[in-house]
Amino acid sequence: MMDKKNEEDGSGNPFSNLEKTSVLQEARTFNETPVNPRKCIHILSKILYMLNQGEQLGSTEATEAFFAMTKLFQSKDVTLRRLVYLGIKELAGVADDVIIVTSSLTKDMTGKEDLYRAAAIRALCCITDTTMLQAIERYMKQAIVDRSVEASAAPQLVSALHLMRSSPDVVKRWSNEAQEALNSDNVMVQYHALGLLYNIKKSDRLAVTKLVAKLTRSAPRSPYAVCMLIRTACKLMEEEDAGTESPLFDFVDSCLRHKSEMVVYEAAHAIVNMPRTSPRELAPAVSVLQLFLSSPKPTLRFAAVRTLNQVAMTHPAVVTACNLDLESLISDVNRSIATLAITTLLKTGAESSVDRLMKQISSFVNEISDEFKIVVVQAIKALCLKFPRKHGVLMNFLSSMLRDEGGLEYKASIADTIITIIEENPEAKEAGLSHLCEFIEDCEHTSLAVRILHLLGREGPKTKQPSKYIRFIYNRVILESAARCQMDSDDEVRDRATYYYNILDQQQAALNNQYILNSLQVSLVGLEKALQAYSQGPADQPFDLRSVPVAEAAPTDSRAAAPEGSIASSRKPEEKVTATRQDVFAEQLSKIPEFQQLGPLFKSSQPVELTESETEYVVQCIKHVFAHHVVLQFDCKNTLNDQLLEDVTVQLEAADGFEVVATLPCARLEYNVTNTCYTLIKLPDDLMATVGSCGATLRYVVKDCDPATGLPDTDEGYEDEYLLEEVELTVADHVQRVLKANFGAAWDEIGDQNELEDTYALSAMKTLEQAVKQISQFMGMQACERSDKVPDGKSSHTLLLSGVYRGGAEVLVRARLALSDGVTMQLTVRSTDPAVSEVIASAVG
Amino acid sequence: MGLFNTLATALGLRKREVNVIVVGLDNSGKSTILNHLKPDLERAADIVPTVGFNVERFKAQSLAFTAFDMSGQGRYRNLWEHYYRDCDAIIYVVDSSDKLRMVVAKDELDALLQHPDIRPRRIPLLFFANKMDLKEAMSSVKVTMMLGLEKMENKQFHICASNAITGEGLSDGIAWLTQAAEGRQSKT
Repeated sequence: MMDKKNEEDGSGNPFSNLEKTSVLQEARTFNETPVNPRKCIHILSKILYMLNQGEQLGSTEATEAFFAMTKLFQSKDVTLRRLVYLGIKELAGVADDVIIVTSSLTKDMTGKEDLYRAAAIRALCCITDTTMLQAIERYMKQAIVDRSVEASAAPQLVSALHLMRSSPDVVKRWSNEAQEALNSDNVMVQYHALGLLYNIKKSDRLAVTKLVAKLTRSAPRSPYAVCMLIRTACKLMEEEDAGTESPLFDFVDSCLRHKSEMVVYEAAHAIVNMPRTSPRELAPAVSVLQLFLSSPKPTLRFAAVRTLNQVAMTHPAVVTACNLDLESLISDVNRSIATLAITTLLKTGAESSVDRLMKQISSFVNEISDEFKIVVVQAIKALCLKFPRKHGVLMNFLSSMLRDEGGLEYKASIADTIITIIEENPEAKEAGLSHLCEFIEDCEHTSLAVRILHLLGREGPKTKQPSKYIRFIYNRVILESAARCQMDSDDEVRDRATYYYNILDQQQAALNNQYILNSLQVSLVGLEKALQAYSQGPADQPFDLRSVPVAEAAPTDSRAAAPEGSIASSRKPEEKVTATRQDVFAEQLSKIPEFQQLGPLFKSSQPVELTESETEYVVQCIKHVFAHHVVLQFDCKNTLNDQLLEDVTVQLEAADGFEVVATLPCARLEYNVTNTCYTLIKLPDDLMATVGSCGATLRYVVKDCDPATGLPDTDEGYEDEYLLEEVELTVADHVQRVLKANFGAAWDEIGDQNELEDTYALSAMKTLEQAVKQISQFMGMQACERSDKVPDGKSSHTLLLSGVYRGGAEVLVRARLALSDGVTMQLTVRSTDPAVSEVIASAVG
Repeated sequence: MGLFNTLATALGLRKREVNVIVVGLDNSGKSTILNHLKPDLERAADIVPTVGFNVERFKAQSLAFTAFDMSGQGRYRNLWEHYYRDCDAIIYVVDSSDKLRMVVAKDELDALLQHPDIRPRRIPLLFFANKMDLKEAMSSVKVTMMLGLEKMENKQFHICASNAITGEGLSDGIAWLTQAAEGRQSKT
């Protein structure tokens, strides 16, 4: 029994269960004379272990331990001394007065003992500061050009790189030494010397260009240095926007024939990643990578296939040349290589080869790590978007992957892919949903199950047999009485249960429609503010939900944002409740006294440029719409460095019915500083008259000033003005986008008493997509039920739009579009306010 | 280990260790003095201002000295005290030609003597009135007066005029220190 216990102790880590105070107590042993190296080594190791385990020392504790440690310099024991260096580095950040060891370290770094020198240099760099660095600069410079490579030059160069961060000015003076080190025979010294030189000259592009130009003529021997040179050259080319005719490109190209594989790979990698290369320049780089594909070294094969995988996105045609070699890599013993090879093939391959490749992947997909499985999933996603007809094979494959073991991230990426496929391809919907249903039957990740259930709730009712899905949903429901759910420990469950229970209890179809089938649409931050204000003020009348600003519907278009063929970023499942851009504006405007009486902010438009982008003054306009007013926010910037503008306003020639109530000038507009002035306009009561444009002029007082200091030459300025483009108020400015999850219910709810219907011929439109986009834009409304996506090859389409008009009137639009030599549109508008119907209908005409 | 140490020392096989701290104002010649005490081979050619401290070892007669050569510059003087507790002797170096800063030297000395790690202990203090070769140098007697050494209690001290560059007067001082340290050690 006893023996067994000892054994267990012995096998464990001797340093586990260290206690800070007792270790620090032991550190006092360092003060004893004579020094006992054996004992001190043990204690110092304990301290280092403790620090590396993340133990934090206070400043006093650290300082005490540090000074005790400095006493160890009297020992000649080499091991102990090297541990002391480590200790100094660890404590340098916490302890006070660490510069006390400066002389001792300088002595060691210039001394005869080679074992000390490198470590002493490193420790010295940790403790030194800018003022101290000047004192020891001489030694530092010497160390750079020291002939003893391991002991001095290499570590010093690296340390110098670290010092660049804290004392760039001192290190800049070492460029001569670095230049000399660049001629060293040692590959490492050359590499680090180049690194240091580059960092010294980094901010001066001309110097970098010179350095690179000089080195490209006589390339350094060190392959590491050449790799670095290639990277620097590429960066320069990128900055200068130079094409393949640049001499730098010739250098990179010549590196393809270097004798070191590392350099060859670096050059090939650089070339394929350049933004503007034609297949002709790419070909040699790709053929080098192709050679690597059959290399006996797994690292080279991996590097090459990984690079080709990336290139396949941008230049699939060039990579096709490697298809044969890639095919042979599918059976590579290294699974990472095999995966990358297959996914590359999937990107470059034709539709006909998909089935075969999928079969091959499934033979080994279980053997690769999650990380690579995700790569596979993403490749499949791209493939689905490229070949919609192949969704059957791919979907089956995905569902079998879903059934296998795997982490959350992996499963989430599969579910994401299936959801994307369902959304993009209506034909795949039924199959996809049933795969997902099967998955949630036995799913350990709650977050994923919730997401899929949500999807079922949204899509299920619209399928041919909604009842099919109810069983799956029921399986996940714990049926409890509403009363118990209202006392659930989870805040959200409790809140939602209360919310739905109370609405259902009213037994009014209208409420059900508005708040359950279509969820609450106000901005949560705005609602909170409005309720707070309401509860503070006198409450004679009930709270009006319509006074709360409506939340702008989040853009749902995931595919258009990402470039075609690339891995579309997975969409976030739920929106976070944060202050939106509009809430920020509301906050800003409410601080200005003139605008406090306007009521809640209804909508803020996107900024509109009122000037060309490279003129003397740049002005942007943001329109903030309130119930009866518009605040025009002008963000002005002065790009003339010899002018100071004062008392800047934008004068408007208002259209009929508009009334300029107030203008708030911006007192000073300095060079290159953006500042804001406002104009407040009262809108006419007649809704039809609220659309129009106003001429705008920038008025200001100019004072000439000194470009260097920005101070005006004289106190007297002169008045001047600058013509801006017109400010336009459109229908869209008065409408907030609102997403109705269930458009049909909302449509029936409003009813047809204010319905307007008309037919238009939109002759300027050539495609249905174009029409859909334009109509949504003109009306400023949100497309519902993904009706903004026009299926390929259809000649008719129905667009469903929803929004809220300024003042709170809901408005819905159904546009039936047909393609026939231009687009014919039958437009139906329903709203709670007849005037609003009229305005919206007029937007298209 | 302890027993072996004592035995070896008693038999004269091993020299006894003495810890000394060397303090004094900047540019008074501390590092130069220590440099001269080292064996010829280990001597440095040029002496630069010390930053922080250096550890030097030298032997004199029966004792092995470990000297903590402290930096004398103003901003580092407050760091001396970290090394007071474990020292067996103090060497205080004064630039005897620097009349102007003699009061500063006295101030620093008083602070040292009042330090809780030093005050209660009977530590031998060796003073070097350094740079005696300079024309304007004061005599060791004058330096004693200016530093107020005669009023010092509870410490044994010795003052030597020295020239660290030639080494003049150093052996005299170290001989006294050896004797004093040996006496102290045999008592303990």
